[in-house]
Amino acid sequence: MYAQAFFVTVFGLAAIGFGVVVFRTSSMVRSALALLFSQTAVGCMFLAMQTEFLGVLQIMMMATEMSIMAIFMVMFMMDPGGLGGMDMSHQKRFSIGAGGSAAVVAIAVALLSNWGPAAEQVVDAEAQTRALGMELLGRSMMIFETAGITILTAMIAATAVAIPVQNLASKDDKEASE
Amino acid sequence: MTVAIVLLALFGSAWLLAVIEGWMVTGRLSPAAPLFSGLAHLGRESILPRSPDRVFFEAAPVLLLVVAVLGMAVLPLAPDLIIADLGTGALFINAALAYVLVAVIMAGWGPDGAYAMIGGWRFLGQLIAYSMLIVMPITAVAMRAESLLNTAIVGSQAVLWNIVYQPLGFVLFFIAAMALAFRAPFDLPTAEGELGGGVDAEYTGVRLAVLRLARLTLVVTLASATTVFYLGGWHGPLLPPWAWSLIKTLAVAVSMLLVGRYLPRIREADLMRWCWILGIPLALLNIIIVGLLILVVP
Repeated sequence: MYAQAFFVTVFGLAAIGFGVVVFRTSSMVRSALALLFSQTAVGCMFLAMQTEFLGVLQIMMMATEMSIMAIFMVMFMMDPGGLGGMDMSHQKRFSIGAGGSAAVVAIAVALLSNWGPAAEQVVDAEAQTRALGMELLGRSMMIFETAGITILTAMIAATAVAIPVQNLASKDDKEASE
Repeated sequence: MTVAIVLLALFGSAWLLAVIEGWMVTGRLSPAAPLFSGLAHLGRESILPRSPDRVFFEAAPVLLLVVAVLGMAVLPLAPDLIIADLGTGALFINAALAYVLVAVIMAGWGPDGAYAMIGGWRFLGQLIAYSMLIVMPITAVAMRAESLLNTAIVGSQAVLWNIVYQPLGFVLFFIAAMALAFRAPFDLPTAEGELGGGVDAEYTGVRLAVLRLARLTLVVTLASATTVFYLGGWHGPLLPPWAWSLIKTLAVAVSMLLVGRYLPRIREADLMRWCWILGIPLALLNIIIVGLLILVVP
């Protein structure tokens, strides 16, 4: 129990630490990877809390997602490789206010909610995975499908916006060069 | 004890693979060559590029090695010879191997060199091509075993190996595994003769030795995963279970090297196109076929 609390604390602090690094570096790639390791630490917190499936899933998804985010940022900022030094913090006063109040709300929710009695026993990872699968393909199916379609739409829209408008002349040039 | 045995098997296989690779390239069978080559690397100067991102530059080779070892930790060599038989084992391999991308991007970006950086970003494109082809066949394998436990997955193949039960999945997984290990013909991030070594370009000395070891280990880990998922793992007549696991793993690893040796390097755009237009529909088809088989054949 104490070991569990210890590791949850350590990974929690690591998550916050990497979160701070996101805004302290001067490069987008470093910032994106710091965010990745922050999210990985959250995944490790899941593991420490014995929710194995969610932890592994979080650790897996974040690696690819954050790397793809890095290349998208590099592409949109016109900074190949992201080597140009840049300030990662924008709208400082507003974001400090927003971040501070969000932190207060999150802490208030954590402290004031009635979480019920702490679980003494946790079912093993296999049973958890099975229960999660039943949940995803039963009651929560509509919610997850809707979320999936929404994310897909957003991705297609973002890609469509990112592709520059081609005029016919340049298309001919391209075909000729190929 | 188990940890020591599995690690020994992993690095021993990596060494054997290096010997075989040398044999294929030079035509000479010299078992000590990888050892001498490694020692030579340790003796050489480890050059630091002019303005590196020091953390990424140093972390990348180590992270790649750690990732390969972590992946191996959930793969059984024999019924009891497994470091951690996780309830989410089949998923955990994906999670560990996702960090190959992170390591390669770090290796590409860290040294602040053009070739390395292009190599790193190339691997991201490569991931977008192969990642679905890793996950979807594993899904079909887990469907048959009705479990994500890797031992259960091997157990489900006691009578009929998955390579026969779902050959389509095997082919897709094999190709995707080669792309993940960035061996030829999928060696776009390193691309000797075209990118000047790519992500390898700026590494020398000890760091290069670790990077090379990590890449070989990665091949062994992926070959072992192929064995567990498709070739019935430890199942086989006469020989003890661990021997079958090793033989199959080495056979898969060598076939990966052989395939790579006789095929030209693929273009990034072609890889992406084939994986998305052909590969993903086939992977979905594989899931449907396996699903129907599970429903129809008891």
